[in-house]
Amino acid sequence: MNKEDLIPAQEICVRYEVEYQFVNSLYESGIIEIVKIEETEYIHYDYLADFEKMIRLHRDLDINLEGLEAVNHLLKQIRELQKDNRRLRNRLGLYE
Amino acid sequence: MEFIDYYKLLELDKSASQADIKKAYRKLARKYHPDLNPNDKDAQLRFQQINEAHEVLSDPEKRKKYDEYGKDWKHADQFEEAKRQQAASGGGFGGGFGGSGQSYSYSGSFDDDTFSDFFEQMFGGRARARGSHRGGHFKGQDYNAELQLRLSEVYKSQKHTLTVNGKNIRLTIPAGVENGQTIKIKGHGGPGIQGGPKGDLYITFNILNDTSFRREKENLYSTEQLDLSTAVLGGEIHVKTFDGKVKLKVKPGTQNGAQVKLKGKGFPKYKRENQFGDLYITYKVKIPTHLSAKQKELFEELKKSGL
Repeated sequence: MNKEDLIPAQEICVRYEVEYQFVNSLYESGIIEIVKIEETEYIHYDYLADFEKMIRLHRDLDINLEGLEAVNHLLKQIRELQKDNRRLRNRLGLYE
Repeated sequence: MEFIDYYKLLELDKSASQADIKKAYRKLARKYHPDLNPNDKDAQLRFQQINEAHEVLSDPEKRKKYDEYGKDWKHADQFEEAKRQQAASGGGFGGGFGGSGQSYSYSGSFDDDTFSDFFEQMFGGRARARGSHRGGHFKGQDYNAELQLRLSEVYKSQKHTLTVNGKNIRLTIPAGVENGQTIKIKGHGGPGIQGGPKGDLYITFNILNDTSFRREKENLYSTEQLDLSTAVLGGEIHVKTFDGKVKLKVKPGTQNGAQVKLKGKGFPKYKRENQFGDLYITYKVKIPTHLSAKQKELFEELKKSGL
């Protein structure tokens, strides 16, 4: 894993004004991944967009952590369904 | 540019309390929040509208100004000026307000900075700068595309040029991509909202098998017909691999359905240079159906010998 793509969790907490507990809870829910290198915890850049999304939902809509977990799960399902829908439409287009 | 009825947008009447406004905003925000409506431009626009309505109605100062001038918002500054003059002269209020000489073109649209032209005109640019918009930066919309390739094409790395929203994107597709695999190209999606980062482009590969091989990840599978005599006595045959024919020794007594592995003759491993999977060949022993008189005689002899 390229270390340049890792952002220290501490820095994330300062930048987004969130408590470490929030970051850790997202990790425990499987929404983001935390990488530990020499006692320092990092979040991979690829998870940043998901992390920001969770912060927005938490702040904008007052969704608690259990709710975020459920939302994340449902959003994943929506994405999969949209993908399937697109693929089927494309395939259908071949026969029209 | 048209007047925007913020009360209507939040489904409220003018007497709504701050608690009502908050409640209505939350209800609609939950419905139209862009994070909950991926790839839905209508929801995004609606969210911007209710956000703006909330921005105005939840701020007592802005709400007062909005309520006071309502549909005459264009002339709010002139009203203010007239009021000042009236107060200074002690005279009556009159004069009316004709055209200001400015012409407005209708624009109900919301740009990437979230606020409508109506809002800009009424509350000014500074309002936007200090606007306590709740949503923060939003990543732009992710784009999804599907690319159809043939299996014979993805044996080697491919260069493709895709056109996404009028932009050409040059793309190197590494050898060994799989059917249904999706790759992400960072920053080639829609523009970010309120200074947020650009979305990403996701490309899903739809790979059509135009070969006689069956592929499972990096391994290939094929069937090879074997003469009965070669299966019994052994010998050498030429078999087709993805990059040409190879000579293969067949062991004596090879059974129908036996499988041999040709190491490194499979498909390239994705993003692993010069590494290949294996080719598995299943032998199908051919039982002769039309025998010559001589062959029939020989088989009869074999039969007599107990074979």
